[in-house]
Amino acid sequence: MYLDKVLYTDFLTIDVGTILFTLINTLLIFLAFRFILFKRVDAIVEKRKSEVDATYTEADQALSSANADKEQYAAAMAGAKQEAAEILSRAEKKAQREGDAILAEARQEALAARERASAETEREKAQARTELQGEIADLAMELAQKIMEKEINKADHERLIDDFIEEIGNEGDNA
Amino acid sequence: MQFSDFLKGSPDGIDVHGPKVLLHFDIGNVSINLTETVVISWGIILAVTLLLLWLTSGMKTRNISKRQVVAEWIVQTVYDLVESSMGKRWRRFAPYIGALFTFSILGSLVSLLGLRSVTADFNAPLAWALVTFVMIHSTNIRTNGIGGYLKGYVDPVPVMLPINILSELSTPVSMSLRHFGNVVSGMVITSLVYFALSVITKSVGIAFMTIGIPAVLSLYFDLFSGFMQAFVFIMLTMAYISNADGREPEA
Repeated sequence: MYLDKVLYTDFLTIDVGTILFTLINTLLIFLAFRFILFKRVDAIVEKRKSEVDATYTEADQALSSANADKEQYAAAMAGAKQEAAEILSRAEKKAQREGDAILAEARQEALAARERASAETEREKAQARTELQGEIADLAMELAQKIMEKEINKADHERLIDDFIEEIGNEGDNA
Repeated sequence: MQFSDFLKGSPDGIDVHGPKVLLHFDIGNVSINLTETVVISWGIILAVTLLLLWLTSGMKTRNISKRQVVAEWIVQTVYDLVESSMGKRWRRFAPYIGALFTFSILGSLVSLLGLRSVTADFNAPLAWALVTFVMIHSTNIRTNGIGGYLKGYVDPVPVMLPINILSELSTPVSMSLRHFGNVVSGMVITSLVYFALSVITKSVGIAFMTIGIPAVLSLYFDLFSGFMQAFVFIMLTMAYISNADGREPEA
C-alpha cells in the first residue's frame, strides 16, 4: 500500500525486505553478466580462436600444396627441357638427312647432265665426221674427175706403171 | 540563520537517516519495506543490462568495434583477476565477481547523480556478505566433506570451538560493516560539510566556499572510496572462498 507520509528506515538497521530484494537484484545483475556479457564475449573469443586455428591449418595446407606444385613444375620443366633437346636433335638429324639427300640428288643430276652433254657432243662429233667424210668423198670425186679430164699419154702411162711396179719391187726387196 | 545557530545546531537539523520507504506491506508477521535502495538498484540493473546489451551487440571476430574492445577488455580483466586470485578452476566464478563489483561501485556512485547510495544502506552489503558467507561454507563442505568441515571448528584444539565460530560469523559482519561504514561515513561527512558551508555562506553572504571543497570531498568519498570498497569487497570474497577451497591454486 502507498504511504501517506514520507517514512525512513533507521540509519543502521537490518531490514529483511531490503536483504531479500538485494539478493534478487544481485542475482539479476549476475544473470546479466553471465548471459549477456560473458556468454557473448566467450562465444566470440572461442569463435575467433577456431577461426585462427582454421586459418593456420589452411595456411599449412596452402604451403604444402604450393611446395608440391613447385616440385611438379620443376619436374615438368626438366621434362620439357629434355624433350626440347630431343626435338632439336631430331630436327638436326632430319635436316642433315634431307640435306644429304638433296646433295646426292643434285650430284646425280649434275652427273646425268654431264653424261647427256657428252653424249650430245659425241653424237655431234659423229655427225660432223659423217658430214666431213661425205664432203671429202665429193672432193675426191671432183678431184678424180678433174684428173680424169687431163689426157694421159702413153709415155706417162707406162712410166706410171713402171714406177708402180718398181715401187712394189723395192718394197718386196726391202721386206 | 546566524553562525551562532550553527554552533547551537540548526532548527532544521542535520537529519541522518536510512533510506526512504516507498512501499510497505506485511506478509504474516514479517513487515517488508520497499525502500529507495531497492528501487535505485532496479535502475542500476536496468542501466547495466542495457549497457551490456549495447556493448555486446554486433560482435565480430575481426575488425572489431571500440565497444567490443571494451566488452572483451572487461571480460578478460575479470578473468585475469579471478584466475590470479583463485586459480584457473574458479574461472566460472568470474561473472559473479564482475556483477558484484559493478553493483557495488555503481551503488556507491549513484550519489553523484544526487541519489542515495545503495551501499549506504547496511542491508545491501549485508546481503552480499551473506552470499559470500554461504559460498565460503559450501565450498569448505564440498572440498573437505561435512566431517572435515565440522572438524575445522575444533582445530587445532577443541577449546577453540567458540572462537572459531565467532571468527566465521565475524567475516560477513566485518565485510558488510566495512563497506557500509566507509560509504555512509562519506555521506555523513559530506552532508556535514555541506551544512557547514551553507551556514557560512548564509552568515557571510558570499558563496565562496561551496565551490571547490565539496567537489574535492566528493572526488574522495564518492569516486575513490566507492571504487576502493567495491574492490576490497570482491578481493575479500575471492580470498575467503579460495581459502575455504583449501587446495593450492594451480598456475
